[in-house]
Amino acid sequence: MKKVFDVIIIGAGIIGLSTAYYLTKKGKKVLMLEKKEIGSGSSGACDDMILLQSKKPGILLQMALESFEMYKCLSEELNTDLEFQTRGGMILIENQEQLKIMEDFVRKQRSYGLDVELIDKRDVKKKQPLVNDRVIASTYSPIDSQVNPLRVMKGFYMKSIERGMEIDKPSSVTALKKLSNGYWEVVTDNNKCYHAEVVINAAGAWAAEVGKFAGVEIPIKPKKGQIAVTEQIPCVGETNIWDADYIVTKLDPVLAEKRDRILAELGIGLSFTQTLDGNYLIGGTREFVGFDTKTTYQGISNILSQVLKFFPVLRNVHIIRTFAGLRPASIDGKPFLGEVKDKEGFFIAAGHEGDGIALAPITGKIMAQMICGETLSLPVDELSPDRLKTHCKPS
Amino acid sequence: MDETKNFVCRCEEVTVEEIEEAIDNGATTLNEVKRWTRAGMGLCQGRTCRKNVARILSRKTGRKLEELMPSTYRKPVRPVRIGLFEEKKIRGTSNENMG
Ligand SMILES: Cc1cc2nc3c(=O)[nH]c(=O)nc-3n(C[C@H](O)[C@H](O)[C@H](O)COP(=O)(O)OP(=O)(O)OC[C@H]3O[C@@H](n4cnc5c(N)ncnc54)[C@H](O)[C@@H]3O)c2cc1C
Repeated sequence: MKKVFDVIIIGAGIIGLSTAYYLTKKGKKVLMLEKKEIGSGSSGACDDMILLQSKKPGILLQMALESFEMYKCLSEELNTDLEFQTRGGMILIENQEQLKIMEDFVRKQRSYGLDVELIDKRDVKKKQPLVNDRVIASTYSPIDSQVNPLRVMKGFYMKSIERGMEIDKPSSVTALKKLSNGYWEVVTDNNKCYHAEVVINAAGAWAAEVGKFAGVEIPIKPKKGQIAVTEQIPCVGETNIWDADYIVTKLDPVLAEKRDRILAELGIGLSFTQTLDGNYLIGGTREFVGFDTKTTYQGISNILSQVLKFFPVLRNVHIIRTFAGLRPASIDGKPFLGEVKDKEGFFIAAGHEGDGIALAPITGKIMAQMICGETLSLPVDELSPDRLKTHCKPS
Repeated sequence: MDETKNFVCRCEEVTVEEIEEAIDNGATTLNEVKRWTRAGMGLCQGRTCRKNVARILSRKTGRKLEELMPSTYRKPVRPVRIGLFEEKKIRGTSNENMG
């Protein structure tokens, strides 16, 4: 006999697991299918930031703010220490051009209720005494936070199992079929076959592949990010750090043109954040190189020279590990959340690119609300997979 | 002496008990144990504890050691000083993988 579930989730990354948690909370019978291991995708190979400042004002900033509120209570709810902490964040500014753009950006974010401001060189030095003199100003948000994604996944997973979720791993989905009784048939490479009314594609960077099984084109590509991890050291400064150099190129195409060729090619934007254990994570690259997850000398050495530019004091600190993950990058930079038109019961929750950790709680909650036909916590119409149609049209 | 309190991973101070607990909670591979406990994520990157963690997983799950996929090895092989990258920098000329 085939096993029948209310919902089958494809992909045990942070998005699939969060969705499983909120669905089992509502009493749904959930099956999780994972091709490799829990967290073997991007969610196990990334930074740990709930970065509010980098979000363009709009739905993603709203979702991040909502997730931030949710994370505050999740450690208790999941009975797992998620290592959630609010250390604040700064985006370092090196010249007047960057300053002008960041001023405007900060103004817009404030209008969405984000607690962020620009601070001058003197205040930068107070918060970051070891920073190089080249920094002329910085943004500062006291609420930029972080969380340990591995802990979050473990917490979601264990609570979902407690509430009756089943998991089959390693088990890769290889075919999807809509049956005449309205159910979806899901076939896996270990020769299992499952039925459910609802299937959720939470396969991250692999979402396009899974979409094909259902006859849906999903414009999501893997965008590789390399990171270097330092040994455990004392705090270098009060907050976590990013550089404006990369962020402004996303906001102003003219500056993007002028960017150093190699930094642009590798898509390097500095992130410099410390885990609770004391290791610093130094990132990162943004590369379209397929599903390759190797770290390269070129990538890592360029990341490290960015951090040395701002914090020469790190010269004598050791790198103990490097890794790379695949961000699920959607064509317009926004995730796809919702049911696919004309494919009743086939939902997508993928394409969070560099924000999946920050957006996981609210994504899971909204997906569960959609599937149970409830009012949504936030209107996410603009994230609907319906926009696929427009993107698929030949230009 | 209570052996479950012995450290398996000395860098991250992870005990036998913690490894066993992760397995009881559903970790079925060496990578999953690593991600859930941090065993093998410290300064030595699992050089000393990798085999011991594998033995515990094998004992608890009844699977043979050879059947367990080793957890991912991450470069660099030994800790490297950040300054060294700066001194050796080959900008853009080399796309080789790290050593
Ligand atoms: C270097 C780097 C730094 C980052 N930093 C941050 C940060 O600071 N803050 C933040 O919010 N986000 C960050 N991100 C982004 C974040 O990691 C992702 O957005 C998030 O992990 C995506 O989660 P996911 O569950 O959608 O995908 P994944 O974690 O990739 O999960 C997808 C899962 O689906 C499985 N799968 C694929 N195909 C199949 C199949 N056919 N059958 C069954 N299973 C399948 C895969 O094995 C995988 O486990 C970063 C990413 C990178 C790479």
